[in-house]
Amino acid sequence: MKKLFTIIVCKLLKFAGGLIGKGSSLPGQIALKLCPDILSRINLPDYIVAVTGSNGKTSTVEMIAHILQESGKTVAWNKEGSNQIEGVTTLILGSCTLFGNVKSDILLIESDERFAKYTFKYITPTHYVITNLYRDQLTRNGHPEWVYNAIKDSIHPETQLILNADDPMVSCFGYGRDDVIWFGVGDIESDTTEFCGVYNDGAYCPNCKAPMTYTKYHYDHIGNYKCTSCGHKRNDTEYTVTKSNLDKGEITINGKYNISLSLKSLYNVYNILAAFTVASIVGIDKDSIAKHLSNYVLKNFRVVTFELGSRKGTLVTSKHENSISYNQSLSLAASDKDKCDVLIIVDAISRKYFTGDVSWLWDINFDLLQSDNVKNIVLSGTYCYDLATRFSFSDVSADKIKIIESIESAVDYLDNDSKEKIYVITCFSDKEKFLGKVKVD
Amino acid sequence: MKILHLYYDIMNLYGEYGNISALERVLQKSNVEITTDRLTLGDSADLESYDFIYVGSGTESNQKLVLEDFKKYRDSLASCIENGIPILMTGNSFEMLGKTITDCNGKAYDGLGIFDFTSVEQNKKRLTGDVICTADFSTKPFVGFINKCSEISGITSPLFTVKHGMGNNSESKSEGLHCKNLFGTHVTGPIMIKNPHFLLHIADIISKRNQGFEVCANHLDYERKGYKITLNELSKRFEE
Repeated sequence: MKKLFTIIVCKLLKFAGGLIGKGSSLPGQIALKLCPDILSRINLPDYIVAVTGSNGKTSTVEMIAHILQESGKTVAWNKEGSNQIEGVTTLILGSCTLFGNVKSDILLIESDERFAKYTFKYITPTHYVITNLYRDQLTRNGHPEWVYNAIKDSIHPETQLILNADDPMVSCFGYGRDDVIWFGVGDIESDTTEFCGVYNDGAYCPNCKAPMTYTKYHYDHIGNYKCTSCGHKRNDTEYTVTKSNLDKGEITINGKYNISLSLKSLYNVYNILAAFTVASIVGIDKDSIAKHLSNYVLKNFRVVTFELGSRKGTLVTSKHENSISYNQSLSLAASDKDKCDVLIIVDAISRKYFTGDVSWLWDINFDLLQSDNVKNIVLSGTYCYDLATRFSFSDVSADKIKIIESIESAVDYLDNDSKEKIYVITCFSDKEKFLGKVKVD
Repeated sequence: MKILHLYYDIMNLYGEYGNISALERVLQKSNVEITTDRLTLGDSADLESYDFIYVGSGTESNQKLVLEDFKKYRDSLASCIENGIPILMTGNSFEMLGKTITDCNGKAYDGLGIFDFTSVEQNKKRLTGDVICTADFSTKPFVGFINKCSEISGITSPLFTVKHGMGNNSESKSEGLHCKNLFGTHVTGPIMIKNPHFLLHIADIISKRNQGFEVCANHLDYERKGYKITLNELSKRFEE
């Protein structure tokens, strides 16, 4: 009875919340109060796929859902992105019958990395994708090792792990398991043999702390690494990007599956590869996976194109407090063949909590914007002077920099007849402050 | 003039190399010739030959690793402190100067024992938050962010009085460690950039110890504006 009652309450709250446009977390929160172990009382599908990691969770999950649905499977997934236990509870109770059976073929869960251990206390995923571990929201997360330990507590022995072989810390989750499925990027043209970045989280082995060496860096500390002491090294991969031409926007997986990219960043390539891997494991034909991923445009609004007067632009949502996400966005602007102006906004550091901490700006490699195609760089928002200070310590010429505290004035400043494209680099917390003032495509 | 950034590649969370960049710039602008040595585990250094020494924050496990290496400097570091060489240690690096550090499993690691305090870590809850604090050597308050998992007891000469935010432990409103020209604090990140008055204070100490060169202070417009905005934002928030 308690189970039935809890399911009904959650469904009603979800419905009511849906009418007023919110409520992806609250219904689950109340359901957990009514029946704390409700998740363990639900009959779940044969495939329960969880995805966690610092970056790429939402995009990866969206692409997995897209492929599976296009291939005729039914998928229950947290598309609103509420990824802690409350949101997952809303998802599961919202998609089950009154008797507690989830009828979908696949339950697909994006999980917050620090809180995964609470969600997966009641649910045992059949497959668990861990994308990467970066310095991300350190004002809450402490540091990547802290998050590593939290994720470790969420892994069940019977779950099959799907791991990014190119991330030395993520690879440590594979110790003591012989059924790990590894994915990764092979040798590609944008690789470097020298480390490019401000700090190197791959300098020391995450397993034994001895120095590590790399034959290839794909970006930051993601690459082909080997410990000089314990032998911790990149595993051979079952799912591999064997060719990548980011300029053209084409990649090849496992030597024969070609995918065209709508977003030409290596970041996106990893998300695509993870989605390809999961869909293959679920049994979708690889040719059709490649077809469904080709030119797929993410609906999660991380990349938005817009018009400002006669000018065209792209807003790239880049997580504040996440230098690697920022570096990828800067690379995207810097590698554009066309000339561009770049607007960087740091106004509210987070949408979820308050902090004035801008130490993460010092971890970002702003030297990337030294590229010739980047003409003007406008710094805007409450913390524009912290940005300006940071730029004053970069190799970017001071002549390119313009500081305009008010976002509105920065938009006015860019609303001119220049032919250059505009790249806007900012976070979830600030993007609407910009998009509200331009015509979104 | 010689600057030492010790354990630069492993005690490097939170963009703290910015402290060194800021000091290098102020000294260069003051027409002082400088060299910076960036050293790490397994290197050796004559600490007493430096005019400024810096160590930043690391993960709990990296701090333990560094602690073993750091012990070789125990006596020379103690005499640096005694002789007033300016030293800044941010985050959990200054915990190494105490008697012991106890990890989340209850294992106690011997510190350098230059001071009598003890640190105790836990792994349940990360202790983080913005802070506003004051120091007796400065008329301007300090702003910053604390990111730690330990409580420290037994510090008799703290660096800061906390106006808003966390102190050395849950009962304390004092933060950090101050002894002559040694500055230890859990306020992480580029604290000398966020607080340009702190940068100038350190530069003044270096100047006084080196024939009193004139410290250039007129290149810090952005830093000063950034400081003012942060102080204002934090004050608004804490008064809510």
